[in-house]
Amino acid sequence: MADSVDTITTENKTLPLGPYPRFVTRNMDVPGIDRIEVYREHGGYAALAKALQSFQPEQLVEEVKQSGLRGRGGAGFATGMKWSFLPPTSPKPRYLIVNCDESEPGTFKDRMIMELNPHMLVEGVIIGSYATKVHHAFIYVRGELAFAGRQVERAVREAYAAGLIGKNILGSGYDLEITVSRGAGAYICGEESALMESLEGRRGYPRLKPPFPAVVGLYGGPTVINNTETISTLPAIVEHGAAVYGAYGTEKSKGTRIYCLSGHVNRPGNYELPLGTPLRTLVEDFGGGMRGGKQLKAIIPGGSSVPFLLPNQLDTPMDFESMAAAGTMLGSGGVIVLDEDTCIVGAVLRMTEFYRDESCGKCTPCREGTFWLVQLLERLEHGGGKESDIDLLNDICDNMLGKCFCPLGDAATSSIMSSIKLFRDEYIHHVRAHACLVGPGATRAHAASVTPVSAR
Amino acid sequence: MAEQEELVNLTIDGQPVSVPKGSLIWAAAQKLGIEIPIYCYHPKMDPLGACRMCFVEVEKMPKLATACTTTVAEGMVVSTTSAKVKKGRAGTLEFLLINHPLDCPICDKGGECDLQDFTLRYGPGGSRFDLNKRHFEKPIPVSENILLDRERCIACQRCVRFTQTVAMENGLVMEQRGFRIEVGVDPAAPFDSIFSGNVVEMCPVGALTAKNYRFVTRPWELKKTPSVCGNCSVGCNVRVDVRVDKVLRQYSRTNDAIDDGWLCDRGRWDLDWINDTERLRTPLIRRDGQLQPVSWDEALRFVAERLRAVRDQRGARAIGGIGSTHTTNEEAYLFQKLLRAGLGTNNVDHAHGRFPATEPGALPWAWSDSIAGLEQASHIVLLGADPYHRQPIVDLRIRKAIRAGARVYVVTPEANRLDRLVAGVIRYTAGHTGTLARALLNIITSDGLARGEQGAQRAADRRASVAQETPERAAQVAGVDADALRELAREIAGAKGAVILYDEAATLEPSGATLAADVLDLALITGNFGKPGAGAGPLLADNNSLGARDMGLLPDTLPGYRPVGDAAAHAALGGAWLATLPAEPGLSYTEMLSGGVKALYVMGANPARDATPEQLAALDALDFLVVQDLTLTETAQRATVVLPAVAYTEKDGSFTNTERCVQLVRRAMQPLGGAKADWEILVGVARALGLGWTYLSPAEILSEIGRTVPLYAGVTRRSLGAEGVRWPFAPGERTPEGRATITGSPSITWQMLAEGVARAQKPGGELIAPRGRGE
Amino acid sequence: MITEEVKARMREICARYPDPRSGTLPCLHLAQEAEGYVTPDGIAAVSEVTGTKIDEVESVVTFYSMYDRAPTGKYAIKVCTSISCYLRGCDGLMEHFEQRLGIQRGQTTADGSFTLQGVECLAACGMAPVLQVNGEFVENVTTADADALIERLKRGEAVAAQPGAWNVLPSKTGASAQQTAAGSGSAQTGKAK
Ligand SMILES: Cc1cc2nc3c(=O)[nH]c(=O)nc-3n(C[C@H](O)[C@H](O)[C@H](O)COP(=O)(O)O)c2cc1C
Ligand code: SF4
Ligand code: FES
Repeated sequence: MADSVDTITTENKTLPLGPYPRFVTRNMDVPGIDRIEVYREHGGYAALAKALQSFQPEQLVEEVKQSGLRGRGGAGFATGMKWSFLPPTSPKPRYLIVNCDESEPGTFKDRMIMELNPHMLVEGVIIGSYATKVHHAFIYVRGELAFAGRQVERAVREAYAAGLIGKNILGSGYDLEITVSRGAGAYICGEESALMESLEGRRGYPRLKPPFPAVVGLYGGPTVINNTETISTLPAIVEHGAAVYGAYGTEKSKGTRIYCLSGHVNRPGNYELPLGTPLRTLVEDFGGGMRGGKQLKAIIPGGSSVPFLLPNQLDTPMDFESMAAAGTMLGSGGVIVLDEDTCIVGAVLRMTEFYRDESCGKCTPCREGTFWLVQLLERLEHGGGKESDIDLLNDICDNMLGKCFCPLGDAATSSIMSSIKLFRDEYIHHVRAHACLVGPGATRAHAASVTPVSAR
Repeated sequence: MAEQEELVNLTIDGQPVSVPKGSLIWAAAQKLGIEIPIYCYHPKMDPLGACRMCFVEVEKMPKLATACTTTVAEGMVVSTTSAKVKKGRAGTLEFLLINHPLDCPICDKGGECDLQDFTLRYGPGGSRFDLNKRHFEKPIPVSENILLDRERCIACQRCVRFTQTVAMENGLVMEQRGFRIEVGVDPAAPFDSIFSGNVVEMCPVGALTAKNYRFVTRPWELKKTPSVCGNCSVGCNVRVDVRVDKVLRQYSRTNDAIDDGWLCDRGRWDLDWINDTERLRTPLIRRDGQLQPVSWDEALRFVAERLRAVRDQRGARAIGGIGSTHTTNEEAYLFQKLLRAGLGTNNVDHAHGRFPATEPGALPWAWSDSIAGLEQASHIVLLGADPYHRQPIVDLRIRKAIRAGARVYVVTPEANRLDRLVAGVIRYTAGHTGTLARALLNIITSDGLARGEQGAQRAADRRASVAQETPERAAQVAGVDADALRELAREIAGAKGAVILYDEAATLEPSGATLAADVLDLALITGNFGKPGAGAGPLLADNNSLGARDMGLLPDTLPGYRPVGDAAAHAALGGAWLATLPAEPGLSYTEMLSGGVKALYVMGANPARDATPEQLAALDALDFLVVQDLTLTETAQRATVVLPAVAYTEKDGSFTNTERCVQLVRRAMQPLGGAKADWEILVGVARALGLGWTYLSPAEILSEIGRTVPLYAGVTRRSLGAEGVRWPFAPGERTPEGRATITGSPSITWQMLAEGVARAQKPGGELIAPRGRGE
Repeated sequence: MITEEVKARMREICARYPDPRSGTLPCLHLAQEAEGYVTPDGIAAVSEVTGTKIDEVESVVTFYSMYDRAPTGKYAIKVCTSISCYLRGCDGLMEHFEQRLGIQRGQTTADGSFTLQGVECLAACGMAPVLQVNGEFVENVTTADADALIERLKRGEAVAAQPGAWNVLPSKTGASAQQTAAGSGSAQTGKAK
């Protein structure tokens, strides 16, 4: 066994052990694990066989409920519960979609799973499809991730050839088709209903809810949609049992998840840790602390769509509830670390430009709001802003918050509103000194370099 | 369908309201007369929820809800005026205005713009936006008739949703995304749809404008009159917008049963003939070979003299009249009354006049169902019909039926705009529509595809008459695929409800003599009759093609299709008209144009345009030709007397559309100086003939029709209401003031047919409800 | 030119879905590969195989950022400019490229070899700053790496398709977190059967 963390072998089983068990990232570093032979040598597809032989679909749904697995795509919705919303019967076929559209700034775990261990994902798809009685599953891979897409495509081909996908899988009588599809550059297509539009060959506009995908989804059929990591966790849950998996984490946020650490730390990377692990452990122990010995200024704990935390909140446990209590969100698990030299206004501007460029443009507040916010932030960052712009930013955010068609608009406001709350002085400094407080912009006034929107 | 609708109770701004389950909050507020501003929502399209203008606050919902996407729930408490709602709406308006050019003074929409209006009512007083607005090149053409000003666009997507999902045509699409989003056309897919103008009307701002209306007027200078379009036989409800003496446009006036809220580009914009500067402003009499202006008095006297002279010298049968499919029912009625009662001849007809019927009174050519009924059809068959070009709004309804799952078969000689969207396309050699109909009857009668007792009976009656008309024979003579016909026959015979429509022009083909009756039999035998979403009928050509027939512009039937020899009808009508009526059938349109008459009275028709050289010679050989029309048509140029008439926008009256709906037209503007309405001219001629007619208004004529024509029994101007009534009529409930009303029939039933629709009612104003109604 | 062979591949793709329209995005990728960018011909071909009207395909094309509507350079260098790369110096990297290549972002070098673009987060934030050359990743890029890359590309060497430079292992050393229920974990597995 190539596992490099503690394991224990009981009877004929290898169980993960220790404080940092690796359910999703296990075997990730085994050379050649992306090939079906190697994957199988390391116990791959055994969970699938077990699922098909020892579980009825309903029992599997129950097992996943028991495990406490919650979606890793951002919202953290209980996976087993989501599956149980599927109507027992419906005139249209039901579908399962894996959301491999990873595009949230600060998040890079799904791409890793696809590149390094695509068979684990495929195995998860088959198990999840069996549990939800789906006979056609789709893997929607973000367009930019071409290599990852090819890895998944090859894994699917290999699994077809091995009789693990197709008719009568492993003699169980269960049939499944899997189609791998590619996006073409649109963050909004990570939103589940926009993804379905995209998968149907349309512009990626989010759909009206209700009806929810579980009732009316892809091609109008009941549809389960889950994140790559969520689906990739299924083999481990089946293999080890819900109880083992659920024994990690906290009461309401069970198990482990991959935290994507980036920014000003010494060792950025993907770390699978039990939910509830304090931020400090991730940043200091796994991330090796601040790069260049700098001071920590702020942390974005769940991808660019969530509010900032301050250094004094470094001991916040990374689970859904504790993060909410701290005024932010666990989101997609993208932990972005900012050091003392970072200009907050500049960083916020950069994040807001993302939302402006990625807004689908369907609804007014998001389309126009992000446009306006960027213009204001630009002039503030470049020293040309007014003090009233700061409150205006806040009010524009208020006019977007809860008023947009989908959560993208809300997401755009997080960094702005929380940064104004936490770093108002820094904004004011930009207005008064016509320069940044820290960073390269602090030394030169750059009001003149406001780039017109059209030039970008 | 008929189950009791479940009602949901809620309160909006403290007022209780009950609406059907599944209604949107917007609709519930609408019912209470509470305005909820909308941009992206359009009642005829699925909710989009994009503009975020229609915010309301619903108790126990943490966020504002959009009224256009939220369905009502029992006990819901909604506020449309709370502080949160006001802030939300003002916020949306502020967003919409940051990139809007605010060029209202030169915008055609100014004055009828939802962005202006809602900003006034719900908007912030000013803008806090002091940066660079997005800029686009000023208006770019998106079609031959429409321009797009992208700066003004608020991205509500109404226009693109209309072209893509309602019209299902190439056209406008959204391009780019986010703040770069814009409406556009792909040069490879030009926006050349006959439905295009609807987007101009739907655009809530001035982003889409009509080329022919740009910079012409301000909306508040327009006089707007509710009326009916005078173009084709669909009879779409319109608002005629007039500035001083010009019709500038027609806008849709929604009538769900007929137009579903849409209008075609012909109806919307083809109005130049009304504003034509060449229109006649004075009567003309030919003197020394030249048509010369004369006074009305002189002209009318002259006409009367000459008509009398011909009658005295050559007898009444030497006089004939060709009426119009464009003039009102009242005018058609007076026209034939003038000829029959005043001049004593049954030589009355119109182009396309005769539709042979197998049984008198059976009305084989009446569309037995309705336009709205198409939505309930499981199958629609178009036999030699091209509604896209000839009855566009029927085509649009067929597209709606397609979306609802109807299987449509296009059986036409030429490529059809619907081909791309339908279940089956069958082609054949032009001129053979009748051959195909008989081949279908042959299949159905010989393959035992009849349904029901009555169907079987009818099949037995018809079998022999079509025994020779095998599909193989049709394949030979009409170049049609015999198997495709067999499959189509099976589809019709197995349909839950099939509607079979043919174009009236097909009845004029050499093979079409019995087409109308054959198609009716096709429906009767296969059980596709007598219910909504099933039936047969013609798609007629003109706005009053059916009214012209109803009113007796036919040589062999009196108004209401009573045979000219019907003694009872003579007694009744002659009594009312104080005249003895001729009993033998008159000459038909073609007979009159083949030298059958010496004097010809032409009202609103232009036989010379499509005439053969022989017919032209016959026209030139006439002793006397009087023509009543708007301009100096090809026929008028040959006339002895020309009497200037006016367009439908200049007079009151009624039209009957292709699905039997009788609707009111209203005068929307002053008649052109010097010209008169056809009915007025007819009254003038009658008086000059000494007939003592005293009609003062079309309303009076319509009331007479209601008393003397059983098919129209009970009709008055008042009883037709805003949206018209479909014959056969039945007495409705009395109004609180005790006024009589009538109700119409969405479809004609077996029972009505058996009794003869036209005879189901007793003359003299008393209505007898046809038996079998409500089955 | 969209050859019959490309169209055949498109049809094969469309057949994988319950509705051929679903093949739109993948087929557009094929069209772009075949012709270098999405041309009217490419759109017409996709319209045909997916059974979608041309104007609707056009509308879809303009929504997604990966479809080019005009020819690009032989090498499209796409530098991520989102937050994590921003924190680790992508702006400096971008400026460096601009200087080295003598073009602004969004432009193509006169000889048609390089197109330089800024793009959104590429899911490589842990290896920031990153870029893609013709769709393949180059990670942890320093300005020196950038220079070397340009030289390599000029020599005609392609960037290899390979997994990212992933740093996955939770390092046990120094981990100070509480001991979790290892024992109970194994005990509970028995019950789960
Ligand atoms: C703007 C937006 C972008 C999103 N992007 C992603 C994404 O890239 N990947 C993902 O798995 N979920 C994304 N989501 C969340 C999905 O909508 C959905 O909740 C998720 O795929 C469900 O999977 P889970 O229950 O396994 O988390 C996004 C949501 C929004 C609103
Ligand atoms: S052009 Fe008019 S109708 Fe079309 S999206 Fe813009 S505002 Fe709406
Ligand atoms: S009208 Fe409701 S969101 Fe546009």
